[in-house]
Amino acid sequence: MKATTTADPGAHPVAKTDGGASLRRWWTSESNEFAGRNLGLLGVLVVLVIIGAVTRPDLYGDPEWVRNNVFTILQQASAIGVVTVGMTFVIIGGGIDLSVGAIMALAGVWATTLATQSYGPGGMIFTAIVVGIGAGLVNGLLVSYGRLVPFIATLAMMVAARGLAASISGKQTQISQSAVINDIATTKILGVPLLIVILALVVAAGWVLLNRTTFGRRTIAVGGNPEAARLAGINVRVQTLLLYGLSGLCCGIGAIMLTAQANSAQAAMANLYELDAIAAAIIGGTLLSGGRGTIIGALFGVLVFSTITNLFAINGLSTESQNMIKGGIIVAAVLIQQFRFGSLTKLFSRTAKP
Amino acid sequence: MDDNVILKLTDVVKTFPGVRALDGVQLEVRAGEVHCLLGQNGAGKSTLIKVLAGVHRPDSGNVEWLGKPVEFANPQAAMRAGIATIYQELDLVDGLSVAENAFLGHEPRRLGFIRRGETARRTREILGRLGHAEIPARRPVHRLPSAGKQIVSMARALSHDARLIIMDEPSAVLAHDEVGNLFRIIRELTAAGIAVVYISHRMEEIREIGDRVTVLKDGRTTAAGLPARDTPTRDLVTRMTGRTIEYVFPDRVHADAGTAPLLDVTGLTRHGEFADVSLTVRPGEIVGIAGLVGSGRSELLETIYGARRADAGTIRVGGRALRPGSVGSAVRAGVGMAPEERKSQALLLDEPIYRNVTLARFARFARGGFTRAGAEASASADVAARLDLRPPDVRRPVRQLSGGNQQKVVVGRWLVGTAARNDSPEDQDRFGGTPTRLLILDEPTRGVDVGARSDLYQLIRDLAAAGLGVLLVSSEVPEVLGLSDRVLIMREGSVIREAPGGELDEEAVLDMIMAGSLTTGALAAETDTTGTTEGEAA
Amino acid sequence: MIQDNSRRRLLFGGAVLGAGALLTACTSNEAGPTTAQTKGPEGDNANAAAGKAVTIGFSAPAADHGWMAAITNNAKAQAGAYPDVTFTSVEAGADAAAQRAALDTLISQKPDAIVMLPHDGKELTASGLKAMQAGIPVINLDRSFTQALAYRVMIKGDNYGMGVSAGNFVVAQMKAKGVTNPVIGEIAGIDSLELTQERSQGFKDALATAGFTVANRRAAEFTVDSGQREATNLLQALPKMDALWNHDDDQGIGVLAAIKQANRTEFIMIGGAGSKAAIESIQKDDTVLKATVTYSPSMASSAISLARLVAQGRGLSDLVELSVPKDITLSSETITKENAANYLQLGF
Repeated sequence: MKATTTADPGAHPVAKTDGGASLRRWWTSESNEFAGRNLGLLGVLVVLVIIGAVTRPDLYGDPEWVRNNVFTILQQASAIGVVTVGMTFVIIGGGIDLSVGAIMALAGVWATTLATQSYGPGGMIFTAIVVGIGAGLVNGLLVSYGRLVPFIATLAMMVAARGLAASISGKQTQISQSAVINDIATTKILGVPLLIVILALVVAAGWVLLNRTTFGRRTIAVGGNPEAARLAGINVRVQTLLLYGLSGLCCGIGAIMLTAQANSAQAAMANLYELDAIAAAIIGGTLLSGGRGTIIGALFGVLVFSTITNLFAINGLSTESQNMIKGGIIVAAVLIQQFRFGSLTKLFSRTAKP
Repeated sequence: MDDNVILKLTDVVKTFPGVRALDGVQLEVRAGEVHCLLGQNGAGKSTLIKVLAGVHRPDSGNVEWLGKPVEFANPQAAMRAGIATIYQELDLVDGLSVAENAFLGHEPRRLGFIRRGETARRTREILGRLGHAEIPARRPVHRLPSAGKQIVSMARALSHDARLIIMDEPSAVLAHDEVGNLFRIIRELTAAGIAVVYISHRMEEIREIGDRVTVLKDGRTTAAGLPARDTPTRDLVTRMTGRTIEYVFPDRVHADAGTAPLLDVTGLTRHGEFADVSLTVRPGEIVGIAGLVGSGRSELLETIYGARRADAGTIRVGGRALRPGSVGSAVRAGVGMAPEERKSQALLLDEPIYRNVTLARFARFARGGFTRAGAEASASADVAARLDLRPPDVRRPVRQLSGGNQQKVVVGRWLVGTAARNDSPEDQDRFGGTPTRLLILDEPTRGVDVGARSDLYQLIRDLAAAGLGVLLVSSEVPEVLGLSDRVLIMREGSVIREAPGGELDEEAVLDMIMAGSLTTGALAAETDTTGTTEGEAA
Repeated sequence: MIQDNSRRRLLFGGAVLGAGALLTACTSNEAGPTTAQTKGPEGDNANAAAGKAVTIGFSAPAADHGWMAAITNNAKAQAGAYPDVTFTSVEAGADAAAQRAALDTLISQKPDAIVMLPHDGKELTASGLKAMQAGIPVINLDRSFTQALAYRVMIKGDNYGMGVSAGNFVVAQMKAKGVTNPVIGEIAGIDSLELTQERSQGFKDALATAGFTVANRRAAEFTVDSGQREATNLLQALPKMDALWNHDDDQGIGVLAAIKQANRTEFIMIGGAGSKAAIESIQKDDTVLKATVTYSPSMASSAISLARLVAQGRGLSDLVELSVPKDITLSSETITKENAANYLQLGF
C-alpha cells in the first residue's frame, strides 16, 4: 500500500478525463501519507544505527564490519519477515493468525524427519511448503466455513501444530543433513546472502499481490467491509480461506529458511513468532481491524526489531531491557503514526497567530 | 423575544484539513421551540451538531449558551450544560441494558456503587414520559428494534435534564406510525420549555412539527429563523440548493408489456420473513414495493439477490434459475443491488471512489489477475460524469462524499461494467460477464437531500429507459408511487396488492400497508444494527 | 499441448514424491533412549536381586526439548529394566497447574513411590507434601521444593557446578595458550530461569579466579533457532573472541550453525548438558566445540532406581546407611576429546 510513488503502468488514459490533475494530486498525497509513516520507521532505524555507531565506534569504524552487520540484521529478519508478509495479508483481510510460529515449527520438523530427508532437499522444501499451506488452509476452513473467530481457530492451531510437531519429532531436535538446505543460509548471490534475496522476493511479490492484483483488491475489500464485499459478489469465504493458506505458505518458506539457519528443526522453534509478526505489521501501519495495511511498512517493522536485537547484542545489554525497549518502540511507532503531520502544521499556524 | 433565546451562534467557522465545513454559521434557538435545520448533505449540518455537542471546537466565532459565551471542551461538558444530542447513528452500547444506556456516564450511585434499582426506576419514569413504558428497562438494547433504540437515546437525553435536545434525522429509522409518537413527545418537551433542534430531509415533517427553520448551504447560513409553516417549499429548496427544483418525478416511459420478464420470482418463501411471493420485472420496467419496516420487503430483496437463501421458490433471471443463496450467481446473471445501509453494507469508506465503483467489476478490468487501476479509474470517471457525481475526483476516499453522492457510487457500481463495455471494442472481449440487467434498490434515497433525490429519480428513470429492470423498495410511499410502473404492496410477509403505479394514491397505499398493524407492530420486528460510526465528514 | 502435458507430469511427479514424504513423516524418528543410559539389575550388587513388586509413578513436564525428552525416556527405560517395578506415567501438561492436577490423579492411585520433575519447585511443593502425607515417598528430580518435608530423596544436577566446570576449562585452556586477557562470550538459556542464573554465576566465579570476565552474554531460549540468532549477534559484537560457553547443547546446534555461517574459527567453544551429537563432535574434533560440561538426563534413570530402593526399604549398598540418602547432587563433569569415548554412552 505504500503503493504509489510510481505511476501505475496501466494508468494510461485516465489523465484525459476531467479528474486528471486532481488524480495526480491524490496519488501524491496518498503516497505522502504512507511515505510519512514509513519515513517515521526509517527514522527509528536511522536513530538505532546512530546509537550503535556512537556506542561502538570501534566496530562501526570498520566498513567491512558494517557491511557484514547490515547483512546480519537482514538475515536475522528474513524468516520472520517472510512470515510477516503473510500475517499482513491476513490482518488486512480482517483476520489474525496466532499459529504462524507453530506452523513454522511443524513445517520445519516435518521437513527434517529422516524419512523426508531421504527424498533430498527438493522433498524437504516441498514438504515444508505443503505442510505450511495445509495447516494454513485448515485455519482458513475453520474461520470461513466453520465460522470460528480467527483468534480462536488459530489459537487452536497454534497449540495443535506444536503438539503434532512434538510428536513427529519425538521431542528431539532434528538435524538437517542436507547440505543444500543448510547452504541456503550461507550462499550469496552477487554478494548478497540468499536469505536476504528470498526476503526481498517475497516482499516484492507480496507488494505486487496486494497492490496490483485482484487477489489484493479482494483482500482489502473483505477486510475493509466484509458485508459490502459479499454484496458485491465477492466470495468472502474463499478469499478468507486463501488468505490463511497464503499465510501458511509464508510459514512454509520461513520454516525452510529457519531450518537452514539453525541446521536443524524442533517443535519449540519459532517461539512467539506470531507476536513479533503481528507487532511488526501493526507498527508498519496495518490496521488491526482490517482493510488497510502496507507490506513495506511491515518490512520496516521487522527490520526495527531485528536492528534492536542487534544493537543490544553489540552493546552487551541484557535481554530484559531489550524486551522493554521493544515494547516501548511498538507504542512509540503507533503513536508517531497517529500523529498527523497536518495537525502539526495547524498547531504551528495556530500558535503563530496572535 | 431576545429573553427567550437560549442558544446563539455568530459567525462560527470550523475547518478540517482541506475542507471548510462551517464557514460563518448563524443560529438562534429559543426556549420551547422546535428549530429545524435544513440543508443538503454536506452543507455542514453534521459538523454544526458536533460543535454544539462539544465534539468539535469552532476555529472562530461565538457560541452563546444561556447568555454566556461558552466553548465546550468535550461532549460531557455540553451535556452537563444541558445540551443533549441524539445522533442519526445511535450511539448506544449494545451489550448494556436500556437503563444502563439511558444513564451511561452519570449513573445514580452511592459510595461508588451503581444503584441499579434506582437507575431502572428513573429509566421507567422517563420511558413513561416518552409514552413507551412497555420497553423493559433491563433489556439489552441490541434486542430492541431501531425505533426502540431511538426511544432509549431520547431517554438518555432526558436523563440529563437537557434544556436543548438536538435530533439528527430522528424519523429516518422510524416507521410511519412511530413518527406520530415522536412528534407527540417533541410537543410535550417543548411545552415544558425545552428547545429542540430538529434535522430532517422530510419537508412535511418540518411543516408539521417545526416552529422556525434555519437553512444551511456550503457551511453558511442562507436563511435564519424563517417560519416553518408558511415559508413556501420552493423558497426553502432554493435557499438549500441555489436551484428551484421541486420533488419532481420524471415522466414514465412504459415498458413494452409484451416482452418476456427479466426477473421471474415464483413462490419465494423464507420462514418468518415472507411467504409465497411471486413477482416479475420486465426489461425497462420499474417495480416498486411499498411496505412497513418489518413487512419482509428488505428480506425479499436480499433473498432475490442471493444474500439470503430462500426456503422455497425459484428465482429466474433472463429465463435461467439462479443458484439459491449465491450473490455471485446473481451478479454473474446481471443483477446488481444497492443495499439499505450504504455505509455498513455497500461501501469501503476509506478506499477511493473508483475502487468502490469497481468493487463488483474490478476483476473484469484486470489482465491476468493484475488489476488496472488506470482503466478502472477511467471507467469510474465516466460513470461519475454520467451520474453527476460531486466532486468528480474518483481518487478521493468515499468517506468524503455526501450521502447522496455515496448512493450514486453504489448505483454506479452496477453501471461501470456496461459503461466500460461501450468504451472500447478491445475491452469487450474481456468482459465475459453479463452487464447489469436488473437493479435492486433498497431505500435508494435514505439520507439523501432533496436536490440529490431528483437527480437519483432521473437516474433511475434513465436506467429503465435504457432497458434495465429496476426493483425498488422505499419507506416513502410517494417515491414508490412516483417512480414505479408497477407497485407491489407488502404486509406481514405477503404481497397483498399489485397495481400500476398511476392507479394508486398515497393514502390508499398507507391504508393498505398499515391496516391491521398495531402501534407496536413495527416495534415487534427486530432489525439489525448498523455497524458504522462515522458521521458524514464535512 | 505437449508442453502442457509435461508440465502436468512434472507437477504430478512432484506431488507423488511430496505425498510420500508427508506420509512417512508420521512413522519416522521414534527416537528411543540409548540403552546405555540405564543400568539394569546386574552383577553381585545386593540390590540387583528382585525385591517386592512396587509401583512407581512418574511425572515430568511435556518435553519440548531434547533434554526433557531424554528424562522421560530414561525413566521409562530404567523402570522397564527392573522386573519388580511397575511404571505409571502421567503427562504433566504445559504448566504447574496441569501438573498439580495430574499429580492428584497419581496420588489417588497410591503408588509405592513418585518420581517427579516439577515444572516449578515452588509451585509444586504442596503436591509433594500431599503425596508424602499420603505415605508415598517422593523422589524430586532436579528442581528443589521449598520444604524438606515435601520429599524423601532429592537428586539433581549441579547448575552452579556446570558453570564452574566450564569456567575452569576456559581458564585452563587460556593459560595453556598463554592468553592473558581473553575475550569470552556466553550464550545462556532462558534468562528468567533460576538454573540459567546459577550456571552463569558459576561461570563468572570460576573465570574470576583467573581474573577473566565475560565480555558479552546473550540469552537464548533453549531452541536451535534462538541459539542461531543470539550467536549470530554475539559474533557480530565480538569480532575476535577467545572462548565461548553455550549453556545447552541442544540450542548449541543453532550456535554451531551460526559460527559456521560466520566462518569463525579463532576461538574455542564449550557446550553444556552433554548431548550425544555434541560428544560425537568433540570426539571428532571437527568444529570449534572442544568440550561440554554435563548435566545428564541419566539422573532420571538414577531417580527410578532410588525410588525402587526407597519403596522396597533398601539402602545404597556401598554406603553404611541402611536407607537411601536424602540429597544427592550430581557433579558436572567436563567432557573433552580425551575422555569423550567414556561419556558417549551417557549422551542423549
